[in-house]
Amino acid sequence: MNYKFIFLIILSFNICLSQDRLPIMNVKTLNGKTVNTKSTYNKKGLTVYSFWATWCVPCINELDDIHKEIDKWNEANVKIVAISTDDSRTKRRVRPMVSGKNWDFEILMDENQDLKRALNITGIPHTIVTKGSRIIYRRVGYKPGEENDLYEFILKSQ
Amino acid sequence: MRKKYTHLILITLFSSNALFSQFFDNITSSFESYSAYYLDDSKTGDFMFEDRFRSNNYLNLKSNIGKYWNFELQIESYLPSSLLNYSPNFKETNISTFKAEYLKKNINFKIGNFYEQFGSGMTLRSWEDKDLGINNSILGLNLKYNLSDNINLTTLIGAQKKGFKYSDGFVVGFDSEFDFSKITKNNATFLMGLSYVGRNDQKTKSDFYDEMTNLISLRFDYSSSAFYSNFEYVNKSKNPIVVFGSLSDTFIKDGSAFLINSGFFNNGFGLDLTFRRLENMSLFSEREAFGNVYNESIINYLPALTKQHDYSLANLYVYSAQPNVSFQSNSLTKAGEIGTQIDLYYSIKKGGFFGGKYGTNLALNASIWNNLDGNYNFNNQSYETDLLSFGDKYFSEYSIEVRKKWTEKFENIFLYVNQYYNKKLIEETIGKVSSNIFILENTYKISDGKSLRLELQHLSTKDDTKNWSAIGLEYNISSAVSIYLTDTYNYQNPDDSKKIHYYNFGGSYIKGANRYAINYGRQRGGLVCTGGICRYVPESTGFSFSVTTSLF
Repeated sequence: MNYKFIFLIILSFNICLSQDRLPIMNVKTLNGKTVNTKSTYNKKGLTVYSFWATWCVPCINELDDIHKEIDKWNEANVKIVAISTDDSRTKRRVRPMVSGKNWDFEILMDENQDLKRALNITGIPHTIVTKGSRIIYRRVGYKPGEENDLYEFILKSQ
Repeated sequence: MRKKYTHLILITLFSSNALFSQFFDNITSSFESYSAYYLDDSKTGDFMFEDRFRSNNYLNLKSNIGKYWNFELQIESYLPSSLLNYSPNFKETNISTFKAEYLKKNINFKIGNFYEQFGSGMTLRSWEDKDLGINNSILGLNLKYNLSDNINLTTLIGAQKKGFKYSDGFVVGFDSEFDFSKITKNNATFLMGLSYVGRNDQKTKSDFYDEMTNLISLRFDYSSSAFYSNFEYVNKSKNPIVVFGSLSDTFIKDGSAFLINSGFFNNGFGLDLTFRRLENMSLFSEREAFGNVYNESIINYLPALTKQHDYSLANLYVYSAQPNVSFQSNSLTKAGEIGTQIDLYYSIKKGGFFGGKYGTNLALNASIWNNLDGNYNFNNQSYETDLLSFGDKYFSEYSIEVRKKWTEKFENIFLYVNQYYNKKLIEETIGKVSSNIFILENTYKISDGKSLRLELQHLSTKDDTKNWSAIGLEYNISSAVSIYLTDTYNYQNPDDSKKIHYYNFGGSYIKGANRYAINYGRQRGGLVCTGGICRYVPESTGFSFSVTTSLF
């Protein structure tokens, strides 16, 4: 069993860097409607997916910091999608919080964390950038100022 | 040895086939490893368990063949044994979950271990939370079918995971969701859901109750551009009550849950109101798992509806939902909980005295949870509850959070919390705790990626172990490297030997989706709650290391 385990680790670290597309699956809108991830990204341009939760302070810091300069991001022709991973303990706080903060990102709900799991996300905040459906950037964690690195990356990848 | 080679040969053979080479080309994975080396501690005592070095490891592999077939395999390794506070059912190395999934247009079929949730989870939720040691996935069949754009049907059957084992008996479920939005006006959404969950427990057969316990629920959900409202009702069929650790043959009750939630929102403003009543509602895949400290075998999710805090002192006296019947003594009888939670979010616009240059964000929260009022007869082991009257208070909390950016570089978060925690009723021990908590977080941005964060906390109370203070300092050296130091100190503990500094220091390194972290410190024991779920943990001191990676 151990031998197989080591083999699979080696396999995972060597071969599996090829698939890089956003998984096709269902998530929900704030109103509880089901939508497919296929309809969530900029078909030809860039999309930022930020995985967050109402209880995650660094996640909120990141979205707040992007929101503070939202005009700049809008001009860069990038779509921003904030995917809440709040479960039924805290999901009722999502709509009032988003509205209270005036965030105008597209908000989606991944309540039982199906999309998070499909993307192999181990912790939040976790930010993904896609070009069409292709994933071109991933980052875990957020530190103040990192939104500027992300912005630079967006400009470079246009 | 022969078996090992067989695996290799099989894998090699498979990879020569075109389909299987696609399978290998498309593999994505995540790997997580959490290890600790526990030390003796002159203040909190020696390490009393086997294996000072412990490690939890998770390797998840996903792939697909063609457009429609997806596969997933998770291997877990607990070597030489699992971290403290994890169920002893997690041991050695084994396949933890596996799944084959077919997904085409309106059909989604899964065989193997799957995760599922009906409605808000009050009837069924299977999910994974590695921090909490929860993986209650179901091994069996899961079929979802979208009959039309407006009708979604889900059905499932299987045995629930418990460590590397599975429950005796089975769980069966059916959920339907109807979208009536087309008949509502103004782009409003109106959804209705009906679900059924049955649990068969063959371990505890009796002439006094059925092997099956059934949950039936009905829910409505309405949303418009500035208002939403939803309602859910669950009925649970008769089930024996656990009295002093064993199932009663005479104390057999049904259960119920009501949830009403509404909200109003507008630019810069959001209000949410929730009312919930739970009576005898918890359901486990095995009746005997009731009250287990590892939160194993949970079928339905009944989280505490309170504000989830990120700060250590606001998490000392955390409420956990009280959905159960518990008869401990004449003065300690419970049948569930009733209460409410209110959240208000408001942004003060830029400009003016309160808004300043960057605006100000306010978040207010209030939650009050009580026992169900009614007639409790401890000697006869019976009760009758009133539908809407509040019994003794379990918990209340009022909090205000202000987020304020002062300059381009400096930002504050201020949080005040007033808490009441009825330790006697919640933990079934003695005492009540009324406290006031003050938290100030200061962030100073030195340059992009480089910042300093100072967290100051104080908890004032005349009850229990009296006042606490906490400090946290974090230095983000670059966007990749960060170091921190925290200390939580019960400086007024009446017992001098328990005036202990719970200090921690460590650092982390992040590269893309990979994170490496190391910590040295002393962890507080007792009731520790995260993610809406609480468990008792022993105190511990030592080093911990973690590696988490997500590979494309």
